[in-house]
Amino acid sequence: MAAFEYRQAEEVRDAFARHGVEYLFLGKSGAILLGFPDTTQDVDVFVKPSETNGKALVAALGELGFVLTTERAAEVARGKDFVQIRNGPFDLDLVFAPDGIESFDDASRRHLEVAGFPVCHIDDIIASKEAARRAKDRESLPRLKSFRDYLRQQGRI
Amino acid sequence: MNQNPSDISAAPEIPAEWLAEFEAAARRPLEQRLRYAFIHTYKPVLDDEPFRAFDTMADYRRWCEENLPDWLGYGRV
Repeated sequence: MAAFEYRQAEEVRDAFARHGVEYLFLGKSGAILLGFPDTTQDVDVFVKPSETNGKALVAALGELGFVLTTERAAEVARGKDFVQIRNGPFDLDLVFAPDGIESFDDASRRHLEVAGFPVCHIDDIIASKEAARRAKDRESLPRLKSFRDYLRQQGRI
Repeated sequence: MNQNPSDISAAPEIPAEWLAEFEAAARRPLEQRLRYAFIHTYKPVLDDEPFRAFDTMADYRRWCEENLPDWLGYGRV
């Protein structure tokens, strides 16, 4: 498995747009799109949990090269809270109910746009990491919060 | 624009090293930032199954704690 590339980010953006998938980049991958200098391994996408959106998501994933059995496609379409896919062109985590974020619609109202990529607001990225309470997040949170201060000082949020 | 001294004192202090990193990243095009940011290393257990789906985030967090090596950092603190 190769690391996620910019070309693939564009493919996600374009395929999701073609199929009308409502989604936001979340987690460290979202922060990186906002300009946070760090490394990560997988792509976290916050997907609006709805039947229509789930079906659109499955169609878009197929176009991107993710091969899903009928059963797995049904699980994705149904919008389980968390789906992890490791046999596609890149590692992908689909999050339908992230910790620390009230609803997709709330996050969508606050979201930021970077080169056509819809990204969760840095406040939501931080809130979800705080709520997850994982050791690896605890390490990155102080720097993420400083990055939020930097964005504020730059007038970007 | 003149900055009010009270604004300066209210501004959160960003460690100089991090500020330099944020500013350097801001100067790079998005494509280059992504090239530096995404890496791939094998994560035991986590990468051993092609597909996992969890009904709730609580189920997922519990699974991580019960199955992943501590050093991966997925356990709750």
